[in-house]
Amino acid sequence: MTKRLRIGYVPLTDAALLHVAKAQNFADARGIELELVADSSWANIRDKLVAGYFDAAHMLAPAAIAVSLGIGHIEAPLLVPVVLGLNGNAITVSKELFEALLQEAQGDMSNPRVTAKALARIVARRRERAETPVTLGHVFPFSSHHYQLRMWLRAGHIDPDEEVRLVVVPPPFMVETLRKGQVDGFCVGAPWSALAVAAGAGAILHQGTDIVHDCPEKVLAFRAEWALSHKEEVSALAEAVGDASRWAASPSNRSSLVTLLTSTAGKDVTAAMLERILDTSASTSGSALVASGLRLDEDAIKADPAQALWLFAQMVAAGQTTYSDALAEAAAAVYAPALGPPIPRAAATPVVFDGPAFSPNDIPSYLAALEDGRTSA
Amino acid sequence: MSRDLRIAVIDKNPLRAAILEDGLRAAGHMSVVHIDDTADLLGRIHEIDPDVILIDLESPSRDTLEQMFKVSRSVARPIAMFVDRSDAAMIDAAIDAGVSAYIVDGLHKDRVKPILDTTISRFNAFAKLKKELETVKSQLEDRKVIDRAKALVMRAKAIPEEQAYALMRQVAMNENKKIAEVARSIITAAELLR
Repeated sequence: MTKRLRIGYVPLTDAALLHVAKAQNFADARGIELELVADSSWANIRDKLVAGYFDAAHMLAPAAIAVSLGIGHIEAPLLVPVVLGLNGNAITVSKELFEALLQEAQGDMSNPRVTAKALARIVARRRERAETPVTLGHVFPFSSHHYQLRMWLRAGHIDPDEEVRLVVVPPPFMVETLRKGQVDGFCVGAPWSALAVAAGAGAILHQGTDIVHDCPEKVLAFRAEWALSHKEEVSALAEAVGDASRWAASPSNRSSLVTLLTSTAGKDVTAAMLERILDTSASTSGSALVASGLRLDEDAIKADPAQALWLFAQMVAAGQTTYSDALAEAAAAVYAPALGPPIPRAAATPVVFDGPAFSPNDIPSYLAALEDGRTSA
Repeated sequence: MSRDLRIAVIDKNPLRAAILEDGLRAAGHMSVVHIDDTADLLGRIHEIDPDVILIDLESPSRDTLEQMFKVSRSVARPIAMFVDRSDAAMIDAAIDAGVSAYIVDGLHKDRVKPILDTTISRFNAFAKLKKELETVKSQLEDRKVIDRAKALVMRAKAIPEEQAYALMRQVAMNENKKIAEVARSIITAAELLR
């Protein structure tokens, strides 16, 4: 019997596996009729999932955890049986900021430590002159984009809350705000950096993968209560995502994937952009035309509770919540690989370019090491 | 009597925003400000310092508003979102109407509810109006197409208007189609055969 599921998503390249699951009939084959509904904000996605308008949603991984833990203003337990991909973000800056960084940089501009230190000098100078602080955009308070910016700033010993302004800018407005100088740069997911570069508004400074290798991005989230009473549907859809992932990762399907994603993306997104976005070979930052490194393969989609813990630690580091064992446990429990596709290998673990190593078993030590790094500045 | 609540309306549709402002004024709310869905949204909000923010669900700027909880230091008073889950019916009605609201923390529910009721009903009224306009537009469009097709049939078969229309209606009934669809086929065929 076919069951119809309504899934909300934000039109980004990393909604790919949902489009593949539908277009390649992987969902149908598992008895799920997929209705994919595009939405305009992460706040809508959250509210409509929680209110039952969507059965499941393409969601920012940290947002799914925040809602589950009641950080922010809504508390509604969610479950994530499968991840929808890793990476895909990039830090794009205005041409003015890029030039200023070039002048200040002491070393290789593709190294985020070098650019962060150069940025620190620009930030300090603007503060001395009482000019508008350096303003950087991201997409949502609970997003890896936000955390990636903080990690980069930390490497330059820049206080993200006091010395710069971090603001949420909806991706459709990013190019315009960058052009008008309302932001000096932003961290955003594909294809928006590519579009900003194509529009001549800015330059990609770093790939997201330069900041965090294998960075958690979007997940497939269900309301926990619903998921536990509809395990068959949840698993069927998660397995269809697994099928989609194997299909998408096969080189022989690359051109079909690009064609499909071109048809689901906005009119300015070209096949060449998507080819670059999906390129997971060595990253070439600095002069890169398009962010790359979006991973859709099977090893990138396992809902490993260690990833949830890593994201929870980033929330604590960003001052969005405080650490407790109970909260950490609740964060880990959001990821439910048992309801997902069987993937024998371990999931990819995120690795940050700078700062202490993360251990899911000892988050307090990790947070303390982060804090030490800050005070030793 | 407490002071008049300041209400900010974020809606890229100026007509709907005007209809809503009108409704809120009629309900006695005089300080209603329409904000354009553009870049420096937080700056504008900061200036206006509203007690209630009403926002079109289609606006991606909702995500910018979400940030107000985090940067409450830069906004005079913290603002909490209206997702009081005890009122599921209200949330459903708001989502159906395509609108969301943010309210200043601590503002009494009784003061907010009438505002939300007005907003939801005005959004719905606007949607209904829009749908009616579209129906009228498509009816007009159909009328034009039918007239053109009728003229073609009259000329081709040298029959009077009433007969041409009766013929088209007969075909539509036989094929279980709308007469406008039959008319479109006639026009397409005529263009092909020209």
